[in-house]
Amino acid sequence: MSASQIRLLSLIRREVNRFMKIKRQTLGGPLLETFLYISVFGAALGTRIHTLHGYKYIVFVVPGLIMMAWALNSFSNNSSSILQQKFTRSIDDQLSSPASPMQLLLGFTLGGFIRGFIVAGLTYVVSAILLSLPVTHALVLIPSLILVGLFFAQCGVLVGVRAEQFDDVALYQTFVLQPLIFLGGVFYGASLLPQPWQTLTKFNPVYYMIALVRYGFIGFHDTNIGLAFGFLALATAALFAFNYRIFAQGRYLRA
Amino acid sequence: MTAPALEVRDLVKRYPTGVEALKGVSLEMGAGEFFGLLGPNGAGKSTLIHCITGLARPSSGSVEIFGHDAVHHYRQAREAVALAPQEINLDMFLTLEETLDLHGGYYGMSKANRRERTAELLETFSLTSKRHERTRTLSGGMKRRLTLARALMHRPRLLILDEPTAGVDIELRLELWQYIEKINNQGTSIMLTTHYLEEAERLCDHIAFINHGEIAAHGTIPELAARYGVSSLEDAYLALVGRQELSREHVEGTAA
Repeated sequence: MSASQIRLLSLIRREVNRFMKIKRQTLGGPLLETFLYISVFGAALGTRIHTLHGYKYIVFVVPGLIMMAWALNSFSNNSSSILQQKFTRSIDDQLSSPASPMQLLLGFTLGGFIRGFIVAGLTYVVSAILLSLPVTHALVLIPSLILVGLFFAQCGVLVGVRAEQFDDVALYQTFVLQPLIFLGGVFYGASLLPQPWQTLTKFNPVYYMIALVRYGFIGFHDTNIGLAFGFLALATAALFAFNYRIFAQGRYLRA
Repeated sequence: MTAPALEVRDLVKRYPTGVEALKGVSLEMGAGEFFGLLGPNGAGKSTLIHCITGLARPSSGSVEIFGHDAVHHYRQAREAVALAPQEINLDMFLTLEETLDLHGGYYGMSKANRRERTAELLETFSLTSKRHERTRTLSGGMKRRLTLARALMHRPRLLILDEPTAGVDIELRLELWQYIEKINNQGTSIMLTTHYLEEAERLCDHIAFINHGEIAAHGTIPELAARYGVSSLEDAYLALVGRQELSREHVEGTAA
């Protein structure tokens, strides 16, 4: 293994090590939250809304919950981890090392991405066993979930790098991300909404992410899947390029 | 010819607020030298150290570490340098062993090399029995030792010690002095900032005074004393900061 590979692996290992050391909070909590959603929407609401667009209600909802788990965990891991390290200045150990801006960015990004993958993956395994959740279009589903994870991991990096206090992180998660995810159609199909909400939903970028993941799992779509995938890939690439520029210039991290 | 351990030329650091922390600093430190950087709080010592170690971006000028430009060839430059900072900045999620192992990883050291070096440093700094404990459980003195061990993990050729003995007890201070003298004798170049002038007197070959973001004077201790027309490093320092009335000679003279 080359020195460069060791460097990158060590940066990722540090991030994974952090969330594994507090796994009750970083993995246990989000898993419980997701299963509570499944219980409430499956056992309670599901008995009243039997089907949605021809699918069992809970099966319609679970793909969105899996996406939400990956997205929120990727975001909150990276934003919190970077801000904590900035507070304690332990981030100086990485910043003064020979790691390149790209390696630093990848290290911070993949920590949250892996945490999101674990929570989403476990949710999928349980859903597949208990709810017989199908995977209809794996070739759309897998790249879409990867892009969703990377996109929100990048959002977490951006917020963590810019944040000066924990309130800044909470602000984005509570007042921006969660509303966008909830209003993006996790619990319903946008076509069921009255106007103008149906049109407004289409301005929500998360709507297209949910549409892709739902299509990958159960085959349902109410938007152009190719266009949604292109938009997601482009947005992720743009955000990555933006973050890379910040790391390369050292803004917010180096004095 | 061996490149100097550190060569700083016309270094300027201007913060976005407009504050100019370094106003064209130039200094050279020979390989293997024990170099003291002295100055009052806010003089620019930490900013200079941060520019050398990549934690701050110079506004203009250059920094070379063993001939490698710290900005354009940062990888080679940072491989050669290490910083033991004034404020303890250990990662609270890691054990002692993980702290050293990850640091070695950031510098591309192989697993076998990291394992061997970690064991060696933990033993050297009497931390072996604590190796599986998290850093936040350590006493202040142990944290200070671990910070120094972490800086030494990748075998730097230039070690920067930013007030390494601030707030430590006499026993640990003497232990640290002995250890850093030993690694200096083995060839590691050392830059030391300290407010303890007896520390600088005992350890340093050359000293630079920095004040208001500029190098006010540099040389050996006798050279500095001669320049300020005084007999000790302490009096030279007091002359630099314009507080000669605090010198022992003056105080004793007044008391008599």
